[in-house]
Amino acid sequence: MFKTKIICSVLFSTLILITGLGCDAKQDPSKTSITIWHWMTDRDPAFKELAKRYEEKTGVKVNFELYAPSDAYSQKVRAAAQGSNLPDIFGILGEKRDFASFIKAGFILELTPYMNEDSSKWRNSLFDKALAVNEFDEGNSYGIKPGIYGVPIDIMTIQMLYNKALFRQLGLNPNRPPKDFSELLEIGKKIKAANLQGLVSGWGEIWMIDCLASNYAFNIMGKDKVIATIKGEVPYTDPDWIKVLSVFKEMHESGFLASGLVTMVNKTAEQLFANERAVFAFNGSWCVNVYKGMNPKLEYGAFLPPKISDKYPMAIWGGAGSSFMVSDRSKNKEEAVKFLRWLTDVPQQAYLAEETNNLPANKESLKKIPDLLANFARAMDYATHPRVWGVSEFSPVIEAFDKGIQSIIIGEKTPEQVASEVQKVKERELAKKR
Amino acid sequence: MKSTIYYKTKKITVNLIIHLFLLTVAVTCIFPLLWMISSSLKTQETIFKDMSLIPQSLNFANYYHAWVEGGFGRYFLNSIFYTVAVVIGIVIISSMAAYAFSRLRFAGRNVLFIIFMAAMMIPIQGSFVALYVLLNKLNLRNTALGYILCMINVGLSTSIFLLKTFFDKMPKELEDAARIDGCTKLGIWWHVALPLAKPVLAVVVVLNALNVWNEFILALLIFDSRPLMPLQVALMTFQGEFVTRYPLLMAGLTIAALPIIILYLLMQKYIVKGVTQGAVVG
Repeated sequence: MFKTKIICSVLFSTLILITGLGCDAKQDPSKTSITIWHWMTDRDPAFKELAKRYEEKTGVKVNFELYAPSDAYSQKVRAAAQGSNLPDIFGILGEKRDFASFIKAGFILELTPYMNEDSSKWRNSLFDKALAVNEFDEGNSYGIKPGIYGVPIDIMTIQMLYNKALFRQLGLNPNRPPKDFSELLEIGKKIKAANLQGLVSGWGEIWMIDCLASNYAFNIMGKDKVIATIKGEVPYTDPDWIKVLSVFKEMHESGFLASGLVTMVNKTAEQLFANERAVFAFNGSWCVNVYKGMNPKLEYGAFLPPKISDKYPMAIWGGAGSSFMVSDRSKNKEEAVKFLRWLTDVPQQAYLAEETNNLPANKESLKKIPDLLANFARAMDYATHPRVWGVSEFSPVIEAFDKGIQSIIIGEKTPEQVASEVQKVKERELAKKR
Repeated sequence: MKSTIYYKTKKITVNLIIHLFLLTVAVTCIFPLLWMISSSLKTQETIFKDMSLIPQSLNFANYYHAWVEGGFGRYFLNSIFYTVAVVIGIVIISSMAAYAFSRLRFAGRNVLFIIFMAAMMIPIQGSFVALYVLLNKLNLRNTALGYILCMINVGLSTSIFLLKTFFDKMPKELEDAARIDGCTKLGIWWHVALPLAKPVLAVVVVLNALNVWNEFILALLIFDSRPLMPLQVALMTFQGEFVTRYPLLMAGLTIAALPIIILYLLMQKYIVKGVTQGAVVG
């Protein structure tokens, strides 16, 4: 009996303790505070430092709350939206249709009026292509009122990189990356002869193949024809598409591609390039930070994928790296917008770039950041991204296309075979849609 | 004579094969652990260059940095608290429920049990949004109590299943004897069923402790306040969007793994007994 009483008391005390722990800490109601949810672990210390500076300047407290990894963060944002608990500022990860669904549900404030204030001063300070990711055009397929709904805080571009030391070893000029596709194939032959590894990339995670393929598709046939293909007006069996697929065959045959590339994850590719075991890499601007951690002495440069045709410009994937949105249901909307305006101003953007090695979204801050980062950022002139095309390809078509390229690289299929298979998938999907 | 040599050779060969097999399994089990410890002693640069299991220079400072930068002190206490509270909750509720399912006759018993078992099949990720909305409505979101209740709920089905399987095989005569001695149903559960179920309770404790200790996604979803987060969330500090600080992450993982390894070693005797007695039959 005594024992039971003790157990009951312990359980009761535990319950009281738990309930006590459940109480939220009270905040000073007289002080305005903004809460920001984000997933960017590497940027968290820099964000917190900026929050401190902002509080010193304005008296407004900014709480950056980190929820990583990004998958868990996405779940939290979705759940919070359902429970009407979204913070003042947050980011949305995922495709544009996810972004659109948040706007449709009334969770996101339209920022166009703020962007257009003072003769569009804020808008003009940011890279257009970074803003485009957060913008919905007239007649967009999502049915969203045209306007800007998010603020890019940094940008990214995906380019080719080359190792300068290995270039010297191959007898090449370390300050002159290949200018056109034939030069690239010639270097491929030299790599093969020297028994080195060529291009490494995360082509096992197939979206990166899609990225390079669409770069060449833009260069070979132009944007309009690519969009027309997505709309179903041009077949994948078109000679231009076969030319795009043949790019990979030629690269493989010349020795430009590293062995095991089709199953390589990007982390492995980064490791190989950082350890000077591959001459080229195809990677995003985030790699500056990655390589710095893996091998601070690595000597490398970035360049646009060498073009095949002079008819159309080369395009690379790029745009807003990360963006923040303001909750339309926030009580501190105005303060939240003011903070984002301050965060994307030149000094703060330069500070973020310096501390985190991410590219700034403010184009005026390029003069204040390291050269390598500025080079990556300047390539924004060539940037495009599926999120700004206004139309999306069917997922099974993208999968068939990317896996088809993998088959071409391993010599299992010809470009013509892959083109015909992709077209069949496309027709099946179009029929389903009808 | 010939047959003796034959049988001896056969025995040695079979034993050798079995031991080689067991050794291989043991090495594959222990290798990730050794790799984790080895990586925790390297630097961010050498982790990608030095592939040996014993690093050239031992960087013990990683443990200090992981502890300080990850804010492990607070999170460690939180995790211990959540684990203890959830495991106590699960042991009490599941043993009572399992005993009731095994011994009491009431309407809808089987249907209710099947519903509990069906819950085992639903991955926790599938119930995230529903749990979030429910906790929000009950004003339990961002509270330790809300998290503990959720985690108790997560562990109940498997624990009830394990304990019911054990109670089903328990001789009824023991309960009859207790009843003659004047025990109530609650008394039988406390004085007879629970002491006999020690081995299977050990399995329940270890399984659930492991589950709570390693959980972080639900915690991230429920908690907004950083001070309420468990230890696993602190580990995420070292895992960036593109850059992971592997040495600190591995040092953090080693620290985080220690309590659970100690718990397992302490309860090893009971777990083996529980398994051999058929506690996890089915």
